[in-house]
Order: sequence, then C-alpha cells, then structure tokens
Amino acid sequence: MAKKRFAFVIEIERCIDCKACMVSCSVENNVPVGHHRNWVDQIGPKGTFPVLGMSFEPGNCNHCGNPPCERVCPTGATYRRDDGLVMIDQDKCIGCKYCIEACPYDARYLNEETGVTDKCSACVHRIYNGEEPACVATCVGNARHFGDINDLQSEVSRLLATNDYYRMYKEAGTQPAIYYIFKGGRKI
Amino acid sequence: MTHEFHWGVLIVNYLFLAGISAGSFATSGLANYVGGKKYEPIARLGAYIAPFPVMIGTLLLLFDLGRPLNFWRLFVTVQWTSPMSIGTWLLTFFIAISLAYFVLWLPVSLRNFIRIPHRLKDLLRLSRWTRLTEEEVRRGKLVLGGLGFPFSIGVGIYTGILLGAVPARPFWNTPMVAQLFLFSAMSTGVGTILLIRSLFFRREVSHQEKMLLNSVDAALILFEIFLIIPFILHQRLSTWSHAEAIKIIMGGSLTFYFWIGVILLGILVPLSLEIYELWQIVVKKHLTGHRLNLGLISGALVIIGGFTLRYVFVYAGQISHFLPVR
Repeated sequence: MAKKRFAFVIEIERCIDCKACMVSCSVENNVPVGHHRNWVDQIGPKGTFPVLGMSFEPGNCNHCGNPPCERVCPTGATYRRDDGLVMIDQDKCIGCKYCIEACPYDARYLNEETGVTDKCSACVHRIYNGEEPACVATCVGNARHFGDINDLQSEVSRLLATNDYYRMYKEAGTQPAIYYIFKGGRKI
Repeated sequence: MTHEFHWGVLIVNYLFLAGISAGSFATSGLANYVGGKKYEPIARLGAYIAPFPVMIGTLLLLFDLGRPLNFWRLFVTVQWTSPMSIGTWLLTFFIAISLAYFVLWLPVSLRNFIRIPHRLKDLLRLSRWTRLTEEEVRRGKLVLGGLGFPFSIGVGIYTGILLGAVPARPFWNTPMVAQLFLFSAMSTGVGTILLIRSLFFRREVSHQEKMLLNSVDAALILFEIFLIIPFILHQRLSTWSHAEAIKIIMGGSLTFYFWIGVILLGILVPLSLEIYELWQIVVKKHLTGHRLNLGLISGALVIIGGFTLRYVFVYAGQISHFLPVR
C-alpha cells in the first residue's frame, strides 16, 4: 500500500463564513483565547453595484510537503511525519518563534501558557480513531474535507479528480496540502 | 491585516550587540596582525570589548524564548538547514575564543587574578597559564586572532542569513541582507573602538590610528551604500511580494527611521566626517585633527545607525508578507 498523504480539500462555494470550524477546533484542541488554529478569510467584495461577488476562503496549517517551519527549526522540534502531517514535539520546542516568522500562511502562534508554538495538528488524535478532524466534522456547509490523497478511492481524491483546484502560495515552494476547489480557479 | 510582532526589541538589541562584538574582534585581530606596536591600542581595545556585548546579547535572546529553561535543546543537536542552529554553534565558539583572546590581552598583573580549577588546568594543559612568556603571549594573540576571525565574520553574516532564509518575509528574503548586516556589524565594531578612543583617550590617539579607523570605517560604509542601493532597486523590480515589501521604507511606516536614522545619521554624516578627517591628515598634513572631536561624533553616529538598521529590518520584515500571484 502506498504511503499516506493526508490533505484537506475545501470547497470555497460551500463556505458560508459561519466560523463553526474555528469554534470546534478551539474547543477540541483547547486553543488559548486570542489564538486560532484555523480561520476564514473573506475574498472581495468585488465588482461594482449591482454586479457584485464575495466569497470565503477557510484555512489552517497546510501540512506542507516542504515545510519552511521545519527547515528553520533549530532544535528539530518541528518535524514531518510519514503520513504527511507536520507536527511539533512539545518537549523539544524552546519557543524561539523562528517557525512563526517562516510560515507564509501565518498558521502558527506562541501558546503563552506553555511557551511553545502550536498549530493545526489535523486532529491527529481523532483521525486514526475513524473520526474526521473537528473542523471537518462540524462544517455545516460540508465545505471542508479531509483524507488521504494517495488513496484513490477516498473522498478527497475523487473531489480532486473531478474538479479544478488551486493551492495557496505554492509559488513559495512549500508544496501545501490544502486544495481549494473554486469553479474557475481563485477569483478576487 | 494586522501585524503581530513575534520578534521585538530584544532581538533588535541582540543582533546589534552581536554585530559590535564581531566587528570589534575582527578589527582587533586585523590591527594586531598588520600593525604590531603601531596599532596596539586599537587591537587592545577591540579585544577588551569583543566578548561582552555578544554575551549580553545572547542573554537577551534567552529572555525572548517562550521557554528559556529549555535553551539547552539548542546544544544537543545540529540542524543544518536552520540558520539559528548554525548560529548557536558559531556564537558558542566565538564567545569562547574571544574570551580567551581577551584574557591574553590583559596586563600580566590582572591575568594572574584569573583562577582556573586545577583539574581543568591539567585537562587543558594550562598549568603554565599564569607564567606565559612575552613571546608565547604574542604568538597566542596572533593564533587566537586568526582562529577567531572567521568566527567573527560568521557571527556578523549569520545574523543577516537568519532573517534572509525566510521566504515568507519578502523584505528579508534576499541575499543582500546578509552582506549588509556583515558590513554593518564590522562598521559598528570599528565605530565603537573609534568612539571609546576619542572619548577617553583623545590626547593619546595617534594620527596613524586615526587614519586606520577612519579609512576602514569609511570603506565599510561605502560597501553598505553599494548594498543598500541594489537592495532597494531589486526589491522594487522583483515580484509583487518584494515590490510591496519595499514600500514599508519607501513611504510606509518605517520610512523616517530608514532614511533619517540609517541613511542620513548612520551613513552619510559619519562617512563625510571620516573623509574630512582623512583629508585633513593626508592632504592638509594637519595631524592633530579638528578642534571638534570628530571621531567621537562619527563613532557615535555609526553605532546609532547600526542599531536603527537592525530595528528597521527586524520590524519591516515582520510587516512584509508573501503575496499570491493573482
């Protein structure tokens, strides 16, 4: 069996900006007040009245294939697992914040309570128990999907096979693993 | 988008202090190597300064950590892709060498005060430490100066690579930041020596000494100018991310600090003063120098400029952001 490569697939047109993913993530992962591991960005409004458009672009850690945060970590605390998830070894992290600077997605924050950096873990404690990550499970519009893109039968693989998609800042060489489906590509 | 600054004034100070140490050490080593007796005051003062600013700086670094007590994790690993990890080791060796170099420069009476535990002495074969002959001390200074020189360059240049290695921050993400920080580090080191010599030993400063300090610093400042010009041009002419980033100092929030603090006060004014001093000595044969203490002014301005440069770069980099192609 091929190596796992976990990825998120997000259907932009299904997102209604309810931010339930942010709330469920904070509850699930005990994220300190003032920080978030995921977010919903607003794109637009664009056009001129009466021809207007606006959409929402949810995001979180891209679990990059070539993570800039891992590269700059001076203690090896940030590492990439075989299944594609980028994780932080809380014992090794010294809180130097270099990875926060290095991340083009601003996906990381310093947890002031523990003094170490934190970010989306793709709810690694849930996904191997047959559950979806909290943000995916809670998404009311069914915009968020998660799965193994190396498994050709998975929901995410089927979505990617039949839709056009973009990945954010892939020009930075990060090989991000959030695939955004938006009919006709990213628009602003 | 609001900007949260993760690296603040502690980091600015650290980069600045490490630069002064690197510059003082390199200046001292060079002065000792080329000049012998003639430039001895410069070499001595540089050796006295070198270990201490960087030690204060690394202490500041510890306070900046989210978990300062976990700092030892840096010393149990080498991460080749992380400039911070490489820098940790460079700093360790640099501080050790500059401390030993400092001790060799101490007058014999003071050197004898330094007590090393006997067991460590035997281990390091330092049992003759306090009874070194003049010749051994002279050779030791040359060896340590030569050994430490690449480390001082390393400390000077790594501070810039630390910032430059981050594609997510286009203001930093150019190789010129590393060069700029290196020359600025060397310049602040020379400036510190110039400042202290002019402030406390004005009557003793010989014209050869003045020539060396002023000409070396003027050359370093010129290098800085020839890096800042292409830095701005390349940022302007590069991708959208870079073009947007450079606006921070071209009309944006740090414009004043950059153009007044770095360019005018830190570069143009001290450069003019140093060239004026050199002109007075070389052309006018006016060896006593201007009635105003120009070395004091240019030394202080170079230091202010070096600090402001780091302030501008640390904050501007964090404001700048990688932007998508749309």
